[in-house]
Amino acid sequence: MITEPYSISIRELNEAGADNIPPELVPATQLIYSSPATLAFNSPGATGFGVKRAGLAVPGSVMLLVAPGCCGRNTKLLSEIPGYEDRFFFLLMDESDIVNGDHLARVPEAVKEVVEYLDERPSAVMVCATCVDALLGTDWDRVCRKAETLSGVPVRPCYMYALTREGRKPPMVLVRKAIYSLLEPAKRDPRTVNIMGYFSPLTDDCELYDLLRQAGVKKINEISRCNDFEEYLGMSHANFNIILNHEARTAADDLAGRLGIPYLELTRLYQTDKIANQYSAFAGSIGAAFDDSEYRERAEKAVADFIEKHGSISIAVGEMLNANAFELALALVKYGFKVPEIYSNVSREDYVYIRHLSEISPETRLFTNLSPTMLFYDCSKADADLTLGKDAEYYHPDCPNVPWNEEKQPFGYSGVTRLFEKMTEALA
Amino acid sequence: MSVKGLHKIIYPFAPDQSGAAAVLYELGGMIIICDAGGCAGNVCGFDEPRWLSTKSAIFSAGLRDMDAILGRDDLLIEKIKKASAKIDAKFVAVIGTPVPATIATDYKALRRMAEKRTGLPVITVDSNGVLWYDSGIEKTYLECFRRFIPEDNAKDIIPGSVGVIGVTPLDSDSLSTGKRITEALKTKGCGRVICYGAGGSLEDFADAGRMEKNIVVAASGLKAAVYLKERYGTPYECTDPLIADVRAGLPISTEELYGKNILVIHQQVRANALRKALREETGDINSPEITAATWFSMFDEIAEEGDFRIREESDFFDRVRDGNWDIIIADGSFRKAAGDFGGRFIELPHFAVSGHFADEESVRFYT
Repeated sequence: MITEPYSISIRELNEAGADNIPPELVPATQLIYSSPATLAFNSPGATGFGVKRAGLAVPGSVMLLVAPGCCGRNTKLLSEIPGYEDRFFFLLMDESDIVNGDHLARVPEAVKEVVEYLDERPSAVMVCATCVDALLGTDWDRVCRKAETLSGVPVRPCYMYALTREGRKPPMVLVRKAIYSLLEPAKRDPRTVNIMGYFSPLTDDCELYDLLRQAGVKKINEISRCNDFEEYLGMSHANFNIILNHEARTAADDLAGRLGIPYLELTRLYQTDKIANQYSAFAGSIGAAFDDSEYRERAEKAVADFIEKHGSISIAVGEMLNANAFELALALVKYGFKVPEIYSNVSREDYVYIRHLSEISPETRLFTNLSPTMLFYDCSKADADLTLGKDAEYYHPDCPNVPWNEEKQPFGYSGVTRLFEKMTEALA
Repeated sequence: MSVKGLHKIIYPFAPDQSGAAAVLYELGGMIIICDAGGCAGNVCGFDEPRWLSTKSAIFSAGLRDMDAILGRDDLLIEKIKKASAKIDAKFVAVIGTPVPATIATDYKALRRMAEKRTGLPVITVDSNGVLWYDSGIEKTYLECFRRFIPEDNAKDIIPGSVGVIGVTPLDSDSLSTGKRITEALKTKGCGRVICYGAGGSLEDFADAGRMEKNIVVAASGLKAAVYLKERYGTPYECTDPLIADVRAGLPISTEELYGKNILVIHQQVRANALRKALREETGDINSPEITAATWFSMFDEIAEEGDFRIREESDFFDRVRDGNWDIIIADGSFRKAAGDFGGRFIELPHFAVSGHFADEESVRFYT
């Protein structure tokens, strides 16, 4: 009987290579431990912006969840968040529906009844579908068209198909496509830009806004900052889209195809030198020049101040936070900290960071939140002065922690600055 | 006439897989939610308040589309075998969700295969996510009693012993409900008290045929009590040992009860117990008039004439509007659905409905 949690050093992980990720790190090969991170990662309707909440990013929209009762159970918590009251409705399946699909005939009438029930006409009804319809092979475009005709409001499907989490188009990819699917072709404005990828805005102090203005951009759209449906429709005028999360690529491809809006992609990073390189390349690609020196200095000063006060402490890094756990760990090690442990799922794309991390911190150990053996995780064996991420806090309940999972999204230098400010607060 | 199954105000209640997991949570088994991830997330993150404080080997099967479409039960069995080699589990439980229900998983075959490969006792619960929590609790109790009571168990009755069926967080006022019931019964002279599902161990289940008496505190436990009576002759009683505390928490005086027409909505045993307590208080069986209603299991043998079961949200609207009630006692999440009800609404929390306890703040991971 094993009594130790599975873990692997970053050196061993790098040596195994992206084509030989150990089976213990591959979700499909094992039962999945119900750790906090797993609940968020493996359950597409779960914490933060799962499919249900994300689908309501369209201003003035409501959602009809068409599912067995179990799929709507934790939606009650979402309804308690300001701005989400009275926006969720449920068409509950019975035991025969899940086998013969009878519920589909009721969807148009249900949408109509919801629209008539509301005091204000919704801008759209997002129909959230779940695993049962994934297995029944439901043609949701057809069902939604019928509902749209009957109700007179736009109706769009949101696929909360947990079964397809590791497929080509997982739920969080498709919901990003769904929320931009109501945009129609419009005249492009060279001074308008859309920022895509998140369901909540960047932090107000993010330098990206200023850098875009330096480049002559007058209007910067984010879906979460649209006050109403009219403003949302204005996103169709964008000259180009900036993708901050790779899960928005399918949505951006769709907008490029339907509306002719091209896109480019930026990555959230915590290494200031890499942030500088990325901004430089970005400026070059749009024929502009950015002066980011002030923001970079501020970020690097925040790091230096923290080190001066606390020294090269040990920091354990989880994945349930606004960062890529490996990139953040790499940044921390480069700044001079020790990262004894990382708790994260791993993918091929992470190897760009794992390779570098293995050179400068080969003994950092990776634990997977998915493994049943995490039941045996013993925090007393880890040397951590601080933890980052809500999952890391779960494993080290008595250690100072920065959850770093706020809704407003950190990005660029301002993200680094804010992170170190939060770390300072946590150790105060 | 509303569309069948449409809920515009009332949020879905705890589903049957949450009920099944609630019975098994503390028994030391390996609990596998046979899902893609969302159902396990709902159980651990919402319906199982013990999850943050008490570790339990509760896993998602991590099913993916091709596993379901191709019916790859062998892959699931392999995953169970791998995990069972690493975890010191007393048994394995596979709990159903909409995915296996849709593809008609053969639970009997799954059980046989898993037992052969792991060498552990395996139980399966064919919950489907469509039914409410009480169905999952009912099936799981029956499965546990059938499976874990040895053949010769009834030979030696334990004097003064009481088995309590139906105590799970979903029907409790706090995480200490099991303890409080045990104390209340011991104060009344009971000897050994077992609360199945709240502090009771797997070994306790094995002793279930030796109890002198069973108490059913939630309707979800009634069928199990009937089974134990038929199989081992154990008498049972439906009652709520904590009802005096519940009554004390309701902001209404005895004087205010006289002449009133009251609707109590809860699980049937609690609704009945409250009705009895209020009648005893006034000393008049006809005043107040009290009707018990429930969204969950309703058994004729413990129902009074006029009691009713609510199946659709539109039923609820109609019953509230047309019932001529002076007072409704129900979970607070029904208040909004009561619409322009002009009488008095008194809150009686039910965790399986609102996800909130009556006696303590509900702590959960999803916030």
